[in-house]
Amino acid sequence: MLGEFEYLLITAAATLGEQAYSAAIQREIAAATGTRCSIGALYTTIDRLESKGLLRTWMGEATPTRGGRAKRMVRVTPKGVQAAKDFYDAVAYISRGAVWATKEAG
Amino acid sequence: MHGNWSMVERAAQLLGREERETVLGDLREAGESPWRGVLDIAGLLVRREALLWRNWQPWLAAFGLTLPASFLLMGFSVSVSYSYLHLMTAQSDVLTVVNQAVLLLAWGWTGGYVVGAISSRTLWASLLCCFAPCLFCISRFRAPHLSSPCLLLFLAPAVYGVSCGLRGSRLPTNTSLGVAFVTTLLTAVAINGGLWSMHWLLVWPSCYLAMNAEVACT
Repeated sequence: MLGEFEYLLITAAATLGEQAYSAAIQREIAAATGTRCSIGALYTTIDRLESKGLLRTWMGEATPTRGGRAKRMVRVTPKGVQAAKDFYDAVAYISRGAVWATKEAG
Repeated sequence: MHGNWSMVERAAQLLGREERETVLGDLREAGESPWRGVLDIAGLLVRREALLWRNWQPWLAAFGLTLPASFLLMGFSVSVSYSYLHLMTAQSDVLTVVNQAVLLLAWGWTGGYVVGAISSRTLWASLLCCFAPCLFCISRFRAPHLSSPCLLLFLAPAVYGVSCGLRGSRLPTNTSLGVAFVTTLLTAVAINGGLWSMHWLLVWPSCYLAMNAEVACT
């Protein structure tokens, strides 16, 4: 079972598709949660997910906005997609009776 | 501003080449301040180090082997030095000196090998656990006819063992079993001759070496 930050990271990478790389994922997570995640949390989580076979990373091209530095590109593997789906299904199932998940909420 | 950014680049030197490239690029792209950049890099380094210490190997290498073995081997280095001195005055026999010298080499080399093999990325902690006791003992060493470097006779084989362990070089099974057998035998003889039984602690690295060689062959 994924942790919540792992789920956020995989989902952000899946949403970004071909444009998924560390800084873009960091922006997506910040937009979703309202909190900036640290480089340390991001990189160590990417490493962990890659070692579990849920992500694949490689060095991308360098761009002028990055001071000519390369990107760490990220792609979600089929195993990663399945793990994220399992997590989402579990959250959706457990939330079905919660007031914040029903139309009457708020 | 540019001057401050050089501080971030200096901190990033502690990262690997590819990771340095991507982390610096991410910080540039996000428009982070230099201080934020340094904090981010420090955070990444601390997290990486903390992950290493979630395994048992660094703890065993630093506090289960290096720290106690350093004290024992310093004591034994002094014993070897005295045996050698007594040999000069015919108060000790050649066999005793050779036995002790071989034992010192075996304990030092096998201990160093295991430390290098199981904790290559946390070697700094093991080195600290060796050098701190050495400095402590050297500063308090008072023995007639012996100088303080006699405490450190074990360091040469230990350092060589660490370099072999870091390279991951394996001994052939027969050689490893031979080293383990000889070390155990000589330890038993030495302890039977009055050596502190705590020195049995120094035998397990040679057994680890033998087991490791066997695993490599199966």
